[in-house]
Amino acid sequence: MSGTVCVERLSKSYIVRHRKGLFHSQKRIVEALKDVSFEVHPGEILGLLGPNGAGKTTLIKILTTLLLPSSGDAWINGYHVQKNENEVRASVGCMLMGERGLYWKLTGQENLEYFGALYHLKPTARRRRAEEIISLLDLNDICNRPVESYSSGQKMLLAFGKALVNDSSLLILDEPTNTLDVPTASQLRAIVRDLNKQGKTIIYTTHIMSEAEMLCDRVAIIDYGNLLAIGSVADLKSSLKRNQVIQIQGTISDEAISALRLLPMVLQATAATVNGKNKLTVVVGEKREALSTIIATLLENGASLQTIYQEQPSLEDVFIAKTGRTLSEDTYKA
Amino acid sequence: MYLLPKLGAPYQKILTKHEANKRIMKLRPGFSVILASSKTRLLTLSRYPGELLIDIITPIVFALIPILIGKASAGSGAETFFAFWNVAYWLRSEMETGTIEALYLSPSHRIWVAGGISLYSLIRSIFSAAIAYILGSFLFGVNPFQGNIVLALLFIIIGIIPLYGMTLIFGAMVLRVKQANTLVNLMQWIVSFLMGVFFPIAMLPAFLRVLALLFPPTWMNIGARASILGIEYFFTEWYLDLAVLWGFTIFAPLFGYWAFRSAENKIRSNEGVGTF
Repeated sequence: MSGTVCVERLSKSYIVRHRKGLFHSQKRIVEALKDVSFEVHPGEILGLLGPNGAGKTTLIKILTTLLLPSSGDAWINGYHVQKNENEVRASVGCMLMGERGLYWKLTGQENLEYFGALYHLKPTARRRRAEEIISLLDLNDICNRPVESYSSGQKMLLAFGKALVNDSSLLILDEPTNTLDVPTASQLRAIVRDLNKQGKTIIYTTHIMSEAEMLCDRVAIIDYGNLLAIGSVADLKSSLKRNQVIQIQGTISDEAISALRLLPMVLQATAATVNGKNKLTVVVGEKREALSTIIATLLENGASLQTIYQEQPSLEDVFIAKTGRTLSEDTYKA
Repeated sequence: MYLLPKLGAPYQKILTKHEANKRIMKLRPGFSVILASSKTRLLTLSRYPGELLIDIITPIVFALIPILIGKASAGSGAETFFAFWNVAYWLRSEMETGTIEALYLSPSHRIWVAGGISLYSLIRSIFSAAIAYILGSFLFGVNPFQGNIVLALLFIIIGIIPLYGMTLIFGAMVLRVKQANTLVNLMQWIVSFLMGVFFPIAMLPAFLRVLALLFPPTWMNIGARASILGIEYFFTEWYLDLAVLWGFTIFAPLFGYWAFRSAENKIRSNEGVGTF
């Protein structure tokens, strides 16, 4: 148990009611987490990657003591999340629920000062801390305006600032770039990276592949409550053999793509249209022979192929190989 | 490079070694949270000037009604009691705005935060009660300094502690039932009735009288009313009534805390405090 965060066989199930009309409802047990174990090493950024509803937020809520696990244990900085909940709360800076965690009628400065008080900072220290955070996030111009007048992105930045109030060694950030525009998201990622360089350990949940790839030292893929894989981005990519991702360009009909998806060795086939031509990304099993079968199937179904090449696998390919579907599709469906 | 200065040495020490947490249930940091929560409540209300005005006027009206019925002082204890209902409404409001999870993420215990909400309500209610009392005395031509005001205040001050315990019980109800405004309104009326705000509990049927005596605010109200109007205490002597109220100061907060913690744990075992 050497990690900043240690999670051992954590499971969580809860009861939801399926409403049927005015008075009838049916109870159903949802297994949000299933026997999840991992460690977060001091000073690293661990990305939790998974579609909406995968169990990421449930995991974070357990780690921050908002939820009690059904079974299993977890420790933060050596403190057990159930037995030492106040110690855990004091040693974590958490951004959860985004902008909803703020008092909209208070100003940004007032919000940060109040949360400073909840972390037992003295009035002068909490005022100074609020000013430092406002300056870091470049919110000086709006810090004395009520939060309700902020844009969505500014609210998210302030919610991120709230997680910095107690200067904890561990930051837990739940999809912090949601609703941010591209430059602001980039600014926030740069701040996260710099805070990490200054020694903070960070757990960062996201469903944006590129974000996880550029920011995280290690990535954990979660789906349907299961931890499917954990490792550095490079390790996860190398776990896929290079010949497993094949890019095909040409004129390819929907029937050809459907026929391709029926092949047992094809794990995933995703199509995008570029300049009126299809760009097909195919993830296959380990066998090199798959290529000839794929080409034959496409040609039999009327496809006209221009280029075929193997590509370095991306984190998206890793996700597809582990879960059997794309993250963007699944997030959209969820 | 984005550089965020470290918190000062004392806080680094507190936060890294978690000494602050050992003090969580101690008075000084708790009192700081109470003051900050109270200030936050006042700041929030100040952004709604109309509501702030109504917030001040309503308790005066609440207190005036029993004062008009019961002559000059009947509502003084009741006024203090009403201050604590706000905690139930506050919890509901935190649920709806989504800030309740942010409160649960901090190491400050909710009883301190609720204490801050109560403090604001209490100060406002004392202010309103004082105005209502002076108005009532003026309307009935009663000397506002008649009777034993110090003893009445003693009953009210001691009664605040068990009232806080009851507040936690109502808070537990809101956590469990969630959309509890109707329930809280109903309970407000029932408890006002039982504690003898509108007429003395001697007028109640025997079984309701027994039920009424199980409520700490009833004893606060009897004591305050008897001290000012010079009418009889429940046990004839003031110190016996006060002793009963003292008994509640131990039992009610403990029971309230237990109820609140049980409700919290029940919710955290299932869907969490964030659902509303």
